Amino acid sequence: MHLNFREKLNSSKFLVTAEISPPKGTNFSVSLEDASQLKGVIDALNVTDNQCSMMHMSSLAFSKLLLDDGHEPIMQLTCRDRNRLGLQSDLLGAYALGIRNICLMTGDFPSCGDHPGSKPVYDLDSVQLLQLVRKLDSGIDFAENKLTGGTSFCTGAVSGINPANPLQLIKLEKKVKCGAYFIQTQAVFDLGMFEEFMEAINHLDVPVIAGLIPLKSLGMAEFMNRNISGISVPEEIIFRMRKASNPMEEGLSIASEAISELVKLSRGIHIMPIGSHKNTLRLLYMARLLEK
Amino acid sequence: MIITSAKSFEVILALLKNEDNMFVIGCNVCAAKLRTGGEPEVLEMCRKLEESGKQVVGWALPTAACSIRSFESLVDKNEKIIDACCILVMACGSGVSSVANVVGVPVYGSNDTISLGSLSGGKLISNQCVMCGDCIIGEFGGICPKAQCSKGLLNGPCGGNVDGMCEIDRLKDCAWTLIYERLKKIERLDLLYNIHTPQEHGFK
Repeated sequence: MHLNFREKLNSSKFLVTAEISPPKGTNFSVSLEDASQLKGVIDALNVTDNQCSMMHMSSLAFSKLLLDDGHEPIMQLTCRDRNRLGLQSDLLGAYALGIRNICLMTGDFPSCGDHPGSKPVYDLDSVQLLQLVRKLDSGIDFAENKLTGGTSFCTGAVSGINPANPLQLIKLEKKVKCGAYFIQTQAVFDLGMFEEFMEAINHLDVPVIAGLIPLKSLGMAEFMNRNISGISVPEEIIFRMRKASNPMEEGLSIASEAISELVKLSRGIHIMPIGSHKNTLRLLYMARLLEK
Repeated sequence: MIITSAKSFEVILALLKNEDNMFVIGCNVCAAKLRTGGEPEVLEMCRKLEESGKQVVGWALPTAACSIRSFESLVDKNEKIIDACCILVMACGSGVSSVANVVGVPVYGSNDTISLGSLSGGKLISNQCVMCGDCIIGEFGGICPKAQCSKGLLNGPCGGNVDGMCEIDRLKDCAWTLIYERLKKIERLDLLYNIHTPQEHGFK
């Protein structure tokens, strides 16, 4: 029996999601081809929303293209580019087009991307956006007007994994209280830290899907440590990447070993490769999440 | 306090390129404290304009440029304003608007208005208030996230905080780190659990 993503969240299945970017332009064949490797293999595909404030095709449009091509998309939606009118219009449109899963987040500041002078919106924050979706799900809009047909989204949110950051933990608690049905996390490299994080949020009844970025080089690991909030690559992994004769392979081995631990700690993994998914299937075989 | 910064003299001259016979008005409150429109700056501006070939018919320093009652009150300070063909106001945008409301000649501003901030212990602090008309600053220990968080987030920090610094400016403290420290100091960390609804924007 085919289960959808929401039904899988409610099952005991270990989940695999992955992230894909819409194309930067109208030609989507390369992006669809990249996604096609994962068809029928992973449980859902996150579609980024102008990730890192780099302008791309809308997550709504590419989610629909993926849906038509037989995938189950999770449409990401940030607070950066739309006010509450735009957010609601896009959410209603997405639902009408058949998109059932969404993942909500604040969004990077425009100055991080390729249109640095763009006006940042942030009319709502991610907690308030969750509240907004809850209203649409109950058949009314954010201003309490009745809708001609509401939504019934499977709504997720994101979180960092630092157990020593009380602000992050409190915000996560608010997100769950406001209707987050699943959580996808920042990339996990420090498994001890992730275990402590899971203990710190043990009181929250929400499936947590652990983020995973397969390393490609020592430079990439060091760059993320220096520049990406919430990512902490431990010294042991830095050492392995430094002495690796084939850093790409070593990165996949590290990710595969992490998966074998995350199977015990989380409800699933969320693979965020930098670039294409050409190694994603191999990683899943290495981690024995797929059988040959 | 309204935080202003002085435009460069070259930029001011460009604004005034088609003007002459000007009158300069300073502001003896915020702009004077910030040295963007007090008496020394007004006198310096008059001197430089004249050196650049502009005729300055006179100057005045009202207590607050933003609280000018009438054109007559300006005449009382310096009747030369009657001969002015344009006015350069060395104040915030509110001061410039206030002068423009009572005169009948073109008005220009010599400053850029930055934010509502403060001068505390000799230290200038920008962006302390966005004048939203819906104040809940007490919920955050007196540090307003609408003003001080780059994204104006009301329910906690974004994921961009690195070592307590802001995603968009690694030299600026994350407002939420400051809020946390303040609430901890005053033993009100419980306030962090409140869920805030969005700001209601609209005509004020």
